[in-house]
Parts: sequence; C-alpha cells; structure tokens
Amino acid sequence: MEMPQSPAHAASSSPFLDPGTHSVAGSLGVLQLKRDHLIPAILSASSADSDYAEGKVVNTRFGSYPHSTLINKPWGTQILASVVDTGSRSKKRKREKADNGDDNVDADRTGLVKAATASSGFAHLVPPTPETWTLCLPHRTQVVYTPDYSYILQRLRVRPGDHIIEAGAGSGSFTHAAVRAVYNGYPTDNSPQEGTESATKKHKGSTGQGRVYSFEYHAPRAETLKAELASHGLDTLVTVTNRDVYNDGFCLDDHAEPNADVIFLDLPAPWQALKHLTRSPPSAAVLNSVASDPSTPTQTPQLSSTSPQQQPSTPFRSPLNPNRTVRICTFSPCIEQVTKTVSALRSLGWLEIGMAEIQAKRVEVRRERVGLQEEGLRGANAAAASVQEAVQRLRDVEGRAKVFHGLQKEKQQQVMRRAEAAKRGDKATLSKVADDVADEDLEADDGGAMKKARVEGLPPSKHDRLERAKRDLESRELFKEGRLVHRTEAEIKTHTSYLVFAVLPREWSRDDEVEARARWS
Amino acid sequence: MHSFIRPNTHVALRLPSGLLKIVEVIPNTYVTWSYYYKPPNRPRLHGAYTHSNVNLGKYGTFSTNQILGRPYHLTFELLDSEKENSKSAAQLRVVPASELHAEALGSDQVLPPATGGDSTPIEADGDAAANGSVGFDIVNEDGDVIMRNNRLTVDDPSRQTLTMEEIEELKKAGVGSGKDIIARIMASHLAIDEKTSFSLAKYTLRKSRKYLKRFTVLPLDLGTLTEYVTEKEAYKIMELREETLGLICSWANVHSASGARVQTAEDGVSQLGGGRWLVVDDTGGLVTAALAEKMGILYPTVEEEEEEEEGDEEKEQDAKKVHENGSESVAIVVSKQNSVDHVATAGAGDNEASSSHTPHKPPKFTNGNHEGPRPPRKPRQHVAQMSAQTNTLTVLHSNNQPNISHLKYFGFDTGAPVASHPLYTHLKSVSWLQLLHPMEDPSYVEPERVTDDVLATMKSSKRGNYYKKRRRWEKTKRVVDEARAGGFDGLVVASSMEAKSILKELVPLVRGGGRVVVYSPNAEPLVELCDYYSKDRRAAYVAREFGAEQDGKVKTDPDDNGPDETEDEDEDFPVNPTLLLAPSLQTARARHWQVLPQRTHPFMTSKGGAEGYLFTGTRVLPIEGRVEARGHGRSKKRKIAES
Repeated sequence: MEMPQSPAHAASSSPFLDPGTHSVAGSLGVLQLKRDHLIPAILSASSADSDYAEGKVVNTRFGSYPHSTLINKPWGTQILASVVDTGSRSKKRKREKADNGDDNVDADRTGLVKAATASSGFAHLVPPTPETWTLCLPHRTQVVYTPDYSYILQRLRVRPGDHIIEAGAGSGSFTHAAVRAVYNGYPTDNSPQEGTESATKKHKGSTGQGRVYSFEYHAPRAETLKAELASHGLDTLVTVTNRDVYNDGFCLDDHAEPNADVIFLDLPAPWQALKHLTRSPPSAAVLNSVASDPSTPTQTPQLSSTSPQQQPSTPFRSPLNPNRTVRICTFSPCIEQVTKTVSALRSLGWLEIGMAEIQAKRVEVRRERVGLQEEGLRGANAAAASVQEAVQRLRDVEGRAKVFHGLQKEKQQQVMRRAEAAKRGDKATLSKVADDVADEDLEADDGGAMKKARVEGLPPSKHDRLERAKRDLESRELFKEGRLVHRTEAEIKTHTSYLVFAVLPREWSRDDEVEARARWS
Repeated sequence: MHSFIRPNTHVALRLPSGLLKIVEVIPNTYVTWSYYYKPPNRPRLHGAYTHSNVNLGKYGTFSTNQILGRPYHLTFELLDSEKENSKSAAQLRVVPASELHAEALGSDQVLPPATGGDSTPIEADGDAAANGSVGFDIVNEDGDVIMRNNRLTVDDPSRQTLTMEEIEELKKAGVGSGKDIIARIMASHLAIDEKTSFSLAKYTLRKSRKYLKRFTVLPLDLGTLTEYVTEKEAYKIMELREETLGLICSWANVHSASGARVQTAEDGVSQLGGGRWLVVDDTGGLVTAALAEKMGILYPTVEEEEEEEEGDEEKEQDAKKVHENGSESVAIVVSKQNSVDHVATAGAGDNEASSSHTPHKPPKFTNGNHEGPRPPRKPRQHVAQMSAQTNTLTVLHSNNQPNISHLKYFGFDTGAPVASHPLYTHLKSVSWLQLLHPMEDPSYVEPERVTDDVLATMKSSKRGNYYKKRRRWEKTKRVVDEARAGGFDGLVVASSMEAKSILKELVPLVRGGGRVVVYSPNAEPLVELCDYYSKDRRAAYVAREFGAEQDGKVKTDPDDNGPDETEDEDEDFPVNPTLLLAPSLQTARARHWQVLPQRTHPFMTSKGGAEGYLFTGTRVLPIEGRVEARGHGRSKKRKIAES
C-alpha cells in the first residue's frame, strides 16, 4: 500500500486503538453504507493516483465520496455524497475544466476540485475496529468472524500484555482482534519506522508489552498482511513471519521471542505444529505417536526425517512463556482434524482439553402488518386479520352482490317493458308514448338517484378500497403498526469451525516442588 | 499474573465431579475435602449444569501451604496416608498429565490398534510414575482383548454387591485418594467383565468422579468465575455465558488505552475518547470485571511486583514498566501542578474542567490534602480515588453504591478499596441521580469552605474530617462532571432496567463512532429496542423534525415550537433513532463436545435457560435536517433516511 505511513503513525496511534477525535489524512477510515456494507479507505488528501478532479473518491451505489469530504471529520459523522463525474475519468480533462472556471467548481490549494454536494445519498464515517474490519476486509482466505474470535479470545483469557502466537494469519481478521486484546502500549522506542527488529530488541521477550506473533505460510499473503498492518499503524505491535511452522516451528531469531502466553492455530493440520509448542524437547516416542497418525501417512516419513535432524542442529528452545500457563486454541472445520489435534494434545501433556463450536445468529426485527386495510400495500399481508374481519368482508361482498343483482333485474324489467310497448305500437298508445318517455326520463332520474343512494350504502368496491388504502397510508404511522416480531436472519452460518482448547501448565520438577515445600511450611 | 498460586488470593478448585469450589488461599490454613454427590447420568460439561450438592461429610484435609507457590492448572491428589487418622492433613501428589489423560480415555485399548502404542511413550515420558491409577488398571486387565457389545448387558442395580452402607463404611475408613474405594466397588461388580470397553470406561470414570480425591487448582479469572456463578446462581449475572461476554467485549470495542491521549471535544472542555467506557451493570460487577480485564485494570498490580521478584531481570524491567503505566494517572493527581501542566498541554482535561467550574476555589486547595500548610499530616501520598483520566470505566448505578461485589475476587472491595489496585483510580461510579440531577445529590454540593486561618485553629480530627469532606466532594464533582460531559468511547448495558430509558440518557454521552452494546437474557426487551431504532421510525422521526416544509403529508405538531417533549412524542420516539447506526440484534451459543477416541459427539445435555441477546449499534452524528438516501427501492422515487 502506497500510503505515507511514517508520518501517519509517528504522529498518532493506530486508528484501531485510538482513532482520535477526527479522521486524519493517511489513516484508515471506514465508510459505512449499510449494516454489512462497509468500505475501508486510507484517507488521502493528495490527488496522486487519482483519475478524479476531486482527488481520491470512494464510489458506491449510494453516491460518490471524495476523500476530501472525509478527512478531518469527527468520527461518526454523516457524510453527504458529492457530485463526481464518474463517466470521464481523465484527470487532465477535469483539470482543464477546473481551470476554465467551470460553474461552481473552485480549486483549493492542493489543486483539488472542491467537491460539490449531491442532492441525495449519504454514508457514515466510522473509525475502524476489528469488527468493522472483519466485515470489510479484503478476503484472502476464510475469515474468522466476530462470534468465533470473541469467544476464542475470551476463553483463552487473552489480556493486555500477553504474547500471542497466531499461525495461519490468513486475511488478518483474527490478527486485528488479537492486537486489540493484547495491546497495552506501543514499544517505547524513538523510531517506530526502523522496523520491528530494533523495536522489539529493546523489549525482548517482555511480558509487559503485548505483542502478536503472526505466522503465515503463503509468502504473498504474509507480505500483504505486513503492508496492511503498516497502513493500520499496527506494525510495531505485530511480528509477521513467513514460515512453514509444521517444519520450522515458532522460535524467532531473538531468543526472548515469542515467549508466548497464548496460541491460536488456524492451520489445516494443527497437530503437526504442536510438537514445536512444548516446554521441553518431546521424546522421540511422543513425536512418533503424534506423527504416526494413520491419516497422514505421506507426512510421516518426512516428519520423522526432519525431527531428528532438527534436534542435534539447534539446541532446543521453547517458544512458550516458561513462567505461565500457556493456553491454546485450534480452529478446524472438520471433526477428523479435531480428533487428531486432541490426541496430539493429550500425548504432549496438554490439559483441560475441550472442544466447542459457536453457533451464532443474527436476529431480524420487524413489524408484521396483517389486515384488510393493507390491501394493495407493499410489505404487508392483506389477508383478514381476524375472523370478524373475514366475516365482515364476506358480508360486504354478499351485500354488494345482492344490490348489484337487484339493479340488474330492474334494468332488465325496464327494457322488457319498453319492448312490450313498442310491440303494441297502436296509435292510442302512441300518444301516450311521449308521456311515457317523459315519465321514463323522470323515472330514470329518479332511479339514478335511487341507485346512487343504494350504491352509497353499499360496501366499497375493490377499486374504492385500494384507493382508500392508498389515501389512508399517508396518515398512517406504519412504524408503530402491526405486531413486533423477530426471527433468525435469512442467511446463517451453521458451521464455522470446531474450536479445541487446552492449557499447558508450567513445568514443575521435583526440585521446584522441594523448593516450594521449603518456602511454604 | 497468574503464574503461580499466591498467598491470600482466591483460587478455584475443580473437583473430580467437575464442580468448582472457590477458596481463599491463606497460608497455614487447611482446606477440608468433601465428597460431592452428583446425579450419575449427567455428564460433566464445561460449566453448564445444575444439580443439588449433597455434602456427604468431611473426608480429608490438606494444607494450603501444599499448593502455595505451585503453578496453576496442576492436579493434586490426596495421598493415602499411613495413619488412619482422618483429622490429619493428607499429603498431596501432583498427578502427571499422562495419568490424567489415561483416565479420560478410560482405556487405550479403546483406541484402534494402529494408535494403541500411544500410552507407553507417554507414561515413559511422565516424570512421576503414572502407574497406580486403580481404575485404569482394572480397565487394563479386563478390557484389552475382546471388543464386547452390549447384548449381554443386564440393567439391574443388584449386580453391584456392595451395599450403600458398605460403601459409606469404606469412605469413612479411607482417608486417601479414594482409589481403594473405587477398586473395591469395581471388584464387587458381578458383571464387570460383561461390560463393553466403552461402558467400562464410562463406569470407571463415573466412579472416579465420585470417589477420587483429586482437585485441580485454577486461577480465579473471569472465565472461571463465570462458570462458578453460572453453576450456583446464574440469575445473579443475568445468565451471562462466556461466549456472550466475549461478544460484549468485542462489540464494545473495549481494549486497553494505556498511554492514550487526553483529547477534548469541540467545546474545548469536555473529554473525548481516551479509552473511557460507560457501564450499566446489574450483574454484580461481572460485566465490569470483563471489561476491566480487557482494559488491563482488573488484576492488582501487587501481583506484578511479586512476579518481578521471582522473574528474571528482563521481567523485572517490564513489570516496572507496567507499574509505570498503571501509576501514570496516579502521578497526575499526586502533584497537581504537574497535572495542570499535563492537562494544559494535552488539552483541557476533566480535572481542570472541574476546577474551572468552581472559580472561587484557589488552585492551592486541590492539593491541600498533602501540601497544605498543616504540618501534622503525614507525608503519605494521597492518591485520589477515581482520578484516572484515560482507560477508565464509569459505572452507573441505581442505588447509592454500585453493586460490583464480584470484583472482590480480584482483590477489589468497593467498601474498602485498596489504593494500589488499578481499579481504585480507573473505576468511577456515578448514580443516576448524580448524572441526571446532580444538584439534588448532597455529595455533589460543595461543602462549606474554611479559610486557612480558621483551619489552623481546628482540632486535628475536625480538620481531617473537613479535608475528607472536601476530597469526597471533589471526587464526586470531578466524576459526575466528566460523566455528564460525555464523549465516552462506548456504552455497555447489562441491566434489568428498561433499555430505552437507559439509552435515551446515555447514547448522547457516547462519542461519534463509539459503540453501544446492550445485553439482555431475553429477546423481547431488545426486540423492542430495535424497533425504537428501526428504519421506519427513524424516517418518521426525521420527517417530523425536519420534513414538514417539504411535503404536506407530514403531520405538523399542534404546538409547533421546536422539539419540545410532549408525552406523545416520548411514546413514539422514546429515543432519538438517528443517533445509532446499524442497530442489530444477535445471539451466540457455544456447543460443547466430548472428544474421546471413537466417541466424539456433542454433550448429550446442557443447560437451557436464557438464550442471551446482544443489541449493538454505532453512535453517529447525524446531519441536521432532511437527508435524501439513494439507491433504494425498485421505484425511482427517493425515500427518506436509509442506511
């Protein structure tokens, strides 16, 4: 990532840990459009690498947001969309336009066109947190979601000041949550940009300073994560190492690292990494029993060949904090992985082994409107709300039918009367016809009025009902009508992974026991 | 923290039954061992079941000195003592991991032959002899050859030839680990060899849980405490589970803010952010403890110092650093002159704010308690309670004092707080009365000031009283003013009070971008809350507040003089729905599994009860006036306020 990192977090801390009062250029901000629609952006005040006259722009379905409208805003501010010409992206053309003094655009001192507020569209600018980041991070691998990582960190008792090993950094969602959990201040060195080595040397193996040791097998992913963490101002708190932990373990060059209190393994075969997470060199027999798992026959020869090589070449060094109980969690989607992991944990002397899965769901709350008054309206059920309503509707329909049939009958009779009169057609009656016609006209008028009266007393027609429903809608307060209901949201994650937990107490030798006995007697 | 068992701290003992027992480890005292009866068909779950304990009497005693100084998570076993005197304290033996696992598995013969070799290397590896587990031996003897099935199983209690009385006798006689009892029981079972190996393992395990005198010493941390309270009186913590606590902490974005800047809001006076969270806690302090743990202020710093003693030099250095961090705020208060400088550079902090509210107060007075003209006061540094400016928790309570009694397990007694505990300065408490109507609270009203001359003539006790009063008032004023000024990083509510009434008052005190989290054991209160923040209601609210001139369909208030609070309005809009973004409701439950070779499955039973729901939202700063949304609906027509 090409953001100007050094000034950003030399001046202030990570926006994840202390976002400050306002958004700052060069720092990460998150634009929240909908609950699950968030867009992360490293806010940039410069126009470099931007095709837009307004500088960098976040384009969304809900409008365009130039970075200039996002910088130096109090966090949480509602941001209005701007009018950005997203059609022609030629910077030059826009620049020229601006120079020509196009209507309401005026260039500010950075040479950016000041964004003009659009008539509609808005978003909220929120500070990044591990939760928002988990919702919007670029997926490289399967992500550890909030319900899982929150339980993991809670059950692992991760606290500020802890050292945590994370293997299989993946997309970095757990990394961010872990940093937040262990953070208790930045390494107190003068030059955070110098790189983590010098920074951590000062603090080597400190139990006082929380730190995440992140291991990733996939080199490009490790690089991406490194860059990401740097742009988030977290690089001084996380050591990212590109390594195959199955074979090479977790020890770092600095002898006091990682000195881990907590371990999180999101690996396809955690049992293969466990042999490196011991307090003393595991015996060959244990290694064999862990490695000789029937399900990994191909790995076995390789492992047994590497482990004897390793032991003589380098003296054993434990990556674990020797003074504390170490806690572990492995994250595996399949039950077979769990059985293997658990049996390896047992062989290696881990205790309090337990397995759990998290079943999380989100609940949707809404108002369910049912009733005949909803006819023709959206988002509601227009069925009868009650038996009474149903009966009333049936009565109405019947009533209308009756009147309608009555009218039909009358009309028919009239027509027939006229036809009869015409048939008779004699002169005597002919003179009367004119009267009749006049009469009939009268009658017709009379009948019209009567019809009207009858129709008025009638239940409304469907057309009328729809009209009325529409009319009523304007005065109704839908937000408090209907029954308040809740249900599980449409999409749920029925399974994420199995979480295996275990603890490894401090080593306790006979000598230790003798000493303790002497002290407490 | 928690590297070994320290004197005068609370620890939890996990008994063979799976139950927890909390003990304060006072040196040179004895812990008495009892049998607990557990209904046999209930499997042990991770902290999730209830049953009645029947205390069957005291059967053994061990001295706390035998566990002091030892690491946590070790399992101890009461050794069979030579003397048949049950009064004497038994010796303890550390049970090695290999032995513990041998028992959990019941029998390695249960494993398929390919992995059957597992057990030998472990036992060879363990530093103490792993042999001697009676239950295990029996399994070994009987279970190794045949894979039986349950065709011959006879469901008849009479197959156990030992009577209840005989077992009672055995228990009274024995003082040791309980293995002899188990051995006798197993031996007296007529058809032990008819059992399948799985069933035998289960039988052995069940008997072990009942009669073995073993216990594991666990640090009393938040998870353990939650489990303990859940078993006994879950209602006291609103049936919070570990997974819910985790969710609360995550969504509240609570974390340590040590070294955070003191930032001021636009008004230049009130504090903004700085790692300050607002809590409404009806769980006896469990939620507060969970948040404090995440902020690194839950465990007493004394522990750190002690650890430093026994640690290597690097550790010492770091422990000091931690201590510095912890006492950073202390320094601010101890020397007020520095504090003012500090605050002035960082922007006006709350301390200054409170003093500027009372202009008649001479600056000298603030530190009068230790630098006043009176020589008789001891030079002891007075650390003002609740004086930290950053990384703080402010607890709102409805009684005179907050009920946060669970904090006692972490060395913090609200009645007599120890000044060295980080919570002493970092935990603040404000009552609802103080928050909403401070002038009605007598402790907020400034006590009469006495001039130095008069003070000099006072009796020392009276003078002490005077200072005490002044200090209490200063504390109250400082804390209340800070709370009222708002700017908190988040709000966490776990309360039986009506959520809408809480949020109405407290959401405005959260800074923009801050998190609001409300926990409830039941869905309904939060469903209602979601409805008060619903899209439709927000739209109606916005339309009513700002939209009257735009379209006629919006009803105009008869008394159209601004947003005054009529009753009708309160009913429809008990909270300002525009202040929270993305209000959502969620729940999570951990399902616990048994993982044994060939016998992996979820536990057959677990605890029901409250599901536990979480309402979350982000505090935002809405733009005044009507805002048109974009990109919604099938129609081109634009609707109001949608996000």
